[in-house]
Amino acid sequence: MSKRRINNNIRTLRFFNSEMTQQQLAEKVGVTRQTIIAMEQDKYSPSLELAFRIALAFNVPLDEVFSYKLEDETP
Amino acid sequence: MSFQEKNITVSLVNFSLILVFYLIRLLQMIQNGSFNSTNVFRLWAIIIVAAIVVTIAATILTHLVSAIIQAIQTQAEPVIEDIADERDKFIDLKGTKVTYLVSSLGSFLAMLTFAFGQPPLVMFTLLILFGVVAQIVGDIARLYFYRRGF
Repeated sequence: MSKRRINNNIRTLRFFNSEMTQQQLAEKVGVTRQTIIAMEQDKYSPSLELAFRIALAFNVPLDEVFSYKLEDETP
Repeated sequence: MSFQEKNITVSLVNFSLILVFYLIRLLQMIQNGSFNSTNVFRLWAIIIVAAIVVTIAATILTHLVSAIIQAIQTQAEPVIEDIADERDKFIDLKGTKVTYLVSSLGSFLAMLTFAFGQPPLVMFTLLILFGVVAQIVGDIARLYFYRRGF
């Protein structure tokens, strides 16, 4: 299976936002809890619109939530 | 398991049962020597009506059962999570693509039998068979995509 190159800090940001639950975030951005779970497990990369909505929900810039790494890039 | 996954599972069970019924009826017709156009097209009609009616009834039943189970578990007003977000739509699209692929392949094979001299009844029998099989394969693909994440 190919490794996803888009990573996110949703779990960390939820924790620092009064331990927001996955359900609360899902309701805030208008998706199901399963989609939040899939994103946190790096199994699903959201659309640009959803990515912006998530950043807005945490009140942070987009690059604080999502990061993009090239596959051959060394950590 | 999300509402969409439950719905797909119910659809998978329905279409599997319809497939079993179809194959049994077909075998009975062949054994009895009643494999003729009238009986085959009647079976076509039964399968199509059953697919529509059973799917609608099963969707309503899934809603009701989910709501009842949720109400019992949470002791509160049930909230049905029946919104389809972008991930659900992507998965549905991918599943539909698989369904069309299998259905197209089946239609091609069915027409091939006609081209090689089999009676048209065989072609029509295979067409509906592959239609149901395509739906089952599409549902399995959707469930696989849900399990994998996307």
